[in-house]
Amino acid sequence: MKTFEEKWTAWLDEQLSGKELADFEASLPDLAAAEAEKRDELKLGAFLKEQLAPQAMSNAEFFSHQLQERIARESGDRSSGTKSTWWTIPRLVWSGATALALFIITTIVLMSQHPSGEQSEYLTQILQSRVDPAANPNAAIYIFESKNDNKVTVLWTEGLQSLPSDYAAK
Amino acid sequence: MQLTRVLLAVWFVMAIGTTPLQAANTVWSGLVIAQNVPQPAPIPPELTKLEQTLKELFGYNQFELIGESSKTLKTGEEDWLANSKYFALQVDARGENDAGYTLNLKLYKEKDVLLETDANLSKSSPLVIKGPQVGSGQLLLVLVVKDDEQARPRHHVEPANPITAGWYRLRRMIHRVIP
Repeated sequence: MKTFEEKWTAWLDEQLSGKELADFEASLPDLAAAEAEKRDELKLGAFLKEQLAPQAMSNAEFFSHQLQERIARESGDRSSGTKSTWWTIPRLVWSGATALALFIITTIVLMSQHPSGEQSEYLTQILQSRVDPAANPNAAIYIFESKNDNKVTVLWTEGLQSLPSDYAAK
Repeated sequence: MQLTRVLLAVWFVMAIGTTPLQAANTVWSGLVIAQNVPQPAPIPPELTKLEQTLKELFGYNQFELIGESSKTLKTGEEDWLANSKYFALQVDARGENDAGYTLNLKLYKEKDVLLETDANLSKSSPLVIKGPQVGSGQLLLVLVVKDDEQARPRHHVEPANPITAGWYRLRRMIHRVIP
């Protein structure tokens, strides 16, 4: 034996027929109002079916959605995972390159401060010499090193004006 | 963080190694009259090591000191004067390098500059300059770098800094590759 509500639902869904339909409609106090209510129910059902249907995504929207999901998942993994070390491979490479660059710069600066160190490490080096050409027009300058173990560098002048022996005084 | 400390330590050691040690060297400069005499006087002690070389080079048997000066260089940028009655040798040090000192030398006869020269005076190589003929002799200028031990014999000799020595060796190698 169906209750009124069950018969009402079945009537709204148009599932009653024959004698059962006639008996139910006869039992309604206001058939016209019930028919109007039935039409409203059907309209509402159709509207809801249309609105709640799954919406199809375009390809671009689909991939964007997938990417966002993946980024969110990986971010979650990273934050919840073990603590990563600061010395990653790229940072190590950059640190090494920076240290090497600093070393090279320091080396170049030090070398530029001592431009003649290598040449004069064992022998004194004459960089330039001059005599007064007006007072000594025939003067000439020679530079050589002694051949013995003393490594003496000699600046040899010729043609300087001779002076009297008085100039040998202390 | 540990690697950072190691890198900093390496950099510090390299910086220490590249800092030249301030060895207090003394430059001795002398005005010498060389001449041949029948009874030559003994050579001054500062020239003892050079006696044979001077005799071979100039052919004189006596070397008399008429003026001298010893200057201990701390910054390598000092200047000083060695003078006699008529001559003066003005020395202007213009910096130190790992081999010695860069010097500007001026020989004055009273107020006239007879000779001017720029030289890198090596710690291991004396400089001798032949000046003008004076009477029957010859004026010579001699400059010698005396190391710390010679200049101040009471001081203990410091052992060579292996880091500095290694650094100089590395620099020489790089100089050979990149002249």
